[in-house]
Amino acid sequence: MSALHLCLIFSTLLFALGLAAALSRSNAILVLLGVELMLNAANINFIAFWRFSPQFASNPHAGVIFAIFSIAVAAAEAAVGLALIIAVYRHYKNVRLQDADQLKG
Amino acid sequence: MNATINYAELVYALRPEIALTLGLLLALGYDMAFGRRMSDCARRGVAVLIGIVTLASAVFQTLHTNVPPVGHAAYWFHGAFVYDTLAHGVRLGVFGLSALTLLLIAGSIPHSALRTPHFKHPAEYVAIQLLATMGFSLMAVSNNLLIAFLGFELASLSLYVMAGFDKTSRASAEASLKYFLFGGMAAAFMLFGFSLIYGMTGTIVLPEIARALAVQGPSPLLLVALVMVLVGFGYKAAAAPFHQWAPDVYQGAPAPAAALIASASKLAGFAFFARLLFSGLGTVSGDAINFGGPAGWIMAVIIISAASMLLGNIAALAQTNARRLIAYSAIAHAGIMLLGVIAVRAEGAGPLFYYALTYGIATIGVFGVFAAIERTAPCQRISDLAGLWKRSPFLALVLFVCVLSLAGIPPLAGFFGKFYLFAAALYLNGLMSPAGWLAFLAIAMSAVGLYYYLVILKAALVTNATAGTSASTEKIRVPLGTVIALATSAALTIALGIWPDVVLGLFK
Repeated sequence: MSALHLCLIFSTLLFALGLAAALSRSNAILVLLGVELMLNAANINFIAFWRFSPQFASNPHAGVIFAIFSIAVAAAEAAVGLALIIAVYRHYKNVRLQDADQLKG
Repeated sequence: MNATINYAELVYALRPEIALTLGLLLALGYDMAFGRRMSDCARRGVAVLIGIVTLASAVFQTLHTNVPPVGHAAYWFHGAFVYDTLAHGVRLGVFGLSALTLLLIAGSIPHSALRTPHFKHPAEYVAIQLLATMGFSLMAVSNNLLIAFLGFELASLSLYVMAGFDKTSRASAEASLKYFLFGGMAAAFMLFGFSLIYGMTGTIVLPEIARALAVQGPSPLLLVALVMVLVGFGYKAAAAPFHQWAPDVYQGAPAPAAALIASASKLAGFAFFARLLFSGLGTVSGDAINFGGPAGWIMAVIIISAASMLLGNIAALAQTNARRLIAYSAIAHAGIMLLGVIAVRAEGAGPLFYYALTYGIATIGVFGVFAAIERTAPCQRISDLAGLWKRSPFLALVLFVCVLSLAGIPPLAGFFGKFYLFAAALYLNGLMSPAGWLAFLAIAMSAVGLYYYLVILKAALVTNATAGTSASTEKIRVPLGTVIALATSAALTIALGIWPDVVLGLFK
């Protein structure tokens, strides 16, 4: 098993873990953590493909540049997410997603 | 890729985005320096004015870009950006739709002093809307997975904030959190799909991806990547089964934000995905012409499209909340636009663009009417619309035109949008193809849709507001900005229906 395979198995596990956390947790902050894990799994993919694949001659640094940009995007997403969680906290006095059930139908 | 980087070309490619950035800095700076000394009304007026002028200058920059003839495309900055008629049209379209929703802000300020005004920070709102518009514009011209992802996220992050902008409302906060959590997951799926595509092809530029995939052919890993990208797509388009956020956001968000999410966001999203699927993944599309062809993304798009049409139209029948009803109808329209994505193969992007544009204009009209009613009385339930004809004939007329356009009644734009789109889908191979059967389903579902659109119109035009109902009988005074936006959207809905070639001619 090559290093690329190990990296891909690791990133897939990380993605599945993040998805499970995002779907099963009731605390909004833990859901946000799950989403961040999923984003980071994709970043690991980019870095692994960039590092271990030989055939990428046309644009040799696309993978690592993509990873740098998406880390920045993930940071912005965390900032917006925490701001929205605070906005919800002001109204509900907690961040449990079960309680945010005013809108339905 | 050569080593020299031509920054002049980058500036040329991004002139509208640069105009938007300068405009949003101006809006924030002016408000910081002079905003405190002005009355709320003047402050709002200046912010909206700066926003409109900025969008107008972005339109001006777009109009002064050389558009290659139909069927050709110009590539800028080592293939990072593409410019063709679709990119040109979508840029102009999102700037126009964004300007219309900015004008709605005036209408969404409560008239009475009972509630704290929820647009306490108009300059910030305008700045964030300009950022979202920049994201749409980047999505329109991206020819590269990285630019596309950045545009997608810039637009999404701005829209989350706009959906939660009404800090005094519990519903607004809840809607924006739901929107954000769904959106974050969809973005992660899409990014993972992009990383797999990069891993298989070694490039992030769309035409190079197409060339690499033509050599490799379909593989199981590619199908995983396609499904993950389609999750992100389905979320942005509010297509079933990724639609759950839409009714909550349409109900809870401030009306101008909901209008932007329903109009410009859809137009940019569909344009971007039509480009991604055809110029990047076109060689693994599968077969829409015959049954039993090779598997590809077309089959997945057909399933999502059929599910959206069925779920959207049937769930809308049961709604008692007018905004949720419009949200479910938006899901149904997303299903039809997905059919349009498939039909791009037959007739080019013209019918899809025309449909998305006219749908956006009509939806802005509907949300503008809701915003104007909300100045004096709550406007959530369909029964809140009762007696609108007596309270404001102008609003009732605009609602009449826009809702009938959404339902697809000739001679309004909505009818011709559906007509050209279904015709393009049937050109593929008549009823002998999956796309043809999907068009057939879409026509049948349009008949179902007519019922719930007429329920809205019945409430607004026929029912009287009696003591038993919750609707108020107070006359509604519509502010000037909203009058301009509503009159423009109603006039465009009629004019584009009478002269559809104004838009469709661009693509011929």
